[in-house]
Amino acid sequence: MTALNLIREELTQILADKGVQIGDITADTPLLNGPLDIDSLDLATLVVILEEKTGLTPFANGFVLFHTAGELAGLFGG
Amino acid sequence: MADRAFTLIEGGRAWSVADLPDGRTGVINVSQSGVVGVLGAILSGEAWLMRDADGEPPPAGQGKTPYVGLQTSGTTGRPKWVMTTLDTLTAKLKPGSEPARWLLTYNPGSFAGIQVILSAWIGEHTLVVPPYGADVSAMADLAVAEKVTHVSGTPTFWRAFLMALGNRPLDLKSVTLGGEAADQAILDAVAARFPKAAIRHIYATTELGRIFSVSDGRVGFPLEMLKGRLAISEDSTLTVGGVDTGDVVEIVDDRVLFRGRLDAMVNIGGVKVYPETVEAHLLRLPFIQDARVSPKPNPITGHMLIADIVLKDADFPDAMAQIKAHLQALPRAQRPASLRFAEALDIGATGKKSRSL
Repeated sequence: MTALNLIREELTQILADKGVQIGDITADTPLLNGPLDIDSLDLATLVVILEEKTGLTPFANGFVLFHTAGELAGLFGG
Repeated sequence: MADRAFTLIEGGRAWSVADLPDGRTGVINVSQSGVVGVLGAILSGEAWLMRDADGEPPPAGQGKTPYVGLQTSGTTGRPKWVMTTLDTLTAKLKPGSEPARWLLTYNPGSFAGIQVILSAWIGEHTLVVPPYGADVSAMADLAVAEKVTHVSGTPTFWRAFLMALGNRPLDLKSVTLGGEAADQAILDAVAARFPKAAIRHIYATTELGRIFSVSDGRVGFPLEMLKGRLAISEDSTLTVGGVDTGDVVEIVDDRVLFRGRLDAMVNIGGVKVYPETVEAHLLRLPFIQDARVSPKPNPITGHMLIADIVLKDADFPDAMAQIKAHLQALPRAQRPASLRFAEALDIGATGKKSRSL
C-alpha cells in the first residue's frame, strides 16, 4: 500500500471513531485547517500509527514541516 | 542465633541457621550469592548488595559497621547507593505467631526483597527462593509445590502470578502488594482468589524505608493518615518528613490516591498526563490482565501515549472495540494513540513495569 493510501485509510478510521463526516482525501488535502474535522491530537495519533505501520521515523531528528496529506505521505516513503 | 528456627529453601536444598556461611563480607553480587550469601553478609554487618552484576560499584570508603549498602531500583533514573543498617531494616518487622512459608518474588538485593528475607528471618519462618531471574510462571510452580502461605510482590507481579497460577490450589494467608501503586482491580482480584488471606498494600522507598501499609482493600490511603510526617507538596507530590517522594497524589473524597511518578509525567500538547493513571483506567476492564502505557515522542504534540495490553483470554471477542469505548471516558490527551496486544509484559529484575522508550 502506498503511504497516501495508508493515510487515507487511517484518517478515515480516526474520523469514523470521532463520529464526524468523512470527505475525500487527496494528496492536496490540507491536514489541519482544511475540510477535515481533525485537530492536532488527531494528527499526532495519525503520525503514531504511520510510524508503527511503516517502521519509518521521519521526525526522529526533529520536526519537518508538512501541510497536506501528500506531503506527509512523502515523509513516509511516498 | 544458631537455635533460630529459620529455614531457607534455595537451590534445591533446605538451609538451617547453622548452615549459613558467616564472615562473608564486602561486595555481594546477589545474582551469584543467592539469598544464603545476602543473609550471611547482612548479619555480618558489612554488606554491599549489588542487585545487578553490571551495576555501578559501591562508593569508595565504608560506613561505620554494621552497615548494609543497597541500590535503589532506578525505575526512573540511575540506581543509587543507599546506606542503612540491619536495625533500621528490621525496626518495623515483628515476629509472627503463626508459622509462615514465604515466597521471595523480589530481587534479593532490593529493599523490598530484603524486607521479605528479614521478615522470614525475624519470624523464624521458612523462606522459599526461586532461582535468580526466574519468571513468574516458575514462581507460580514453586509456590504450589512448596505450599507457600505468604507472598509479597508488585501489582505487576500479581497480575501475571494470578494468570500463571490458574486454578491450582494455593492457600495464601498473607498477600502484600508493594513497589508500585496498586489499582482497585488487582486488589479485588487477589481478594477474590485468596479469600482467607490478609491483603495489604505497602508504601515504601529504598531511601525512606517502609512508610505505611493499608489493609482496608481500597486503593490509596485514608485521608486521615495525611498528617504528621505525611504532607502534599506544591507539585502535588507526597512528602514524608519533608522529603519529596516524587509520587503525585490527589485527594478524592476521604482518600488520597496515587496518580503516578512526577518524573514519569508527560506533556501531551500542553496537557500533563501520568501514564500510570491511564494504566489504572485500562485495568478496570475485567478482561484485561495487565497494561503498560508509555510515552512516545511526537512531532505534533511533543509526546503521545501508546499502550501494550495483555488480555486474560487472547480470543476475547470485541476486545479492541470495548477498550476504545472505555477510553472515551478519559480526556483526549490521555487516550493512547496506539493499542497493541501482547502475550506478556516484560517484568524486569525490579518486578516493576519499565516505561522507557
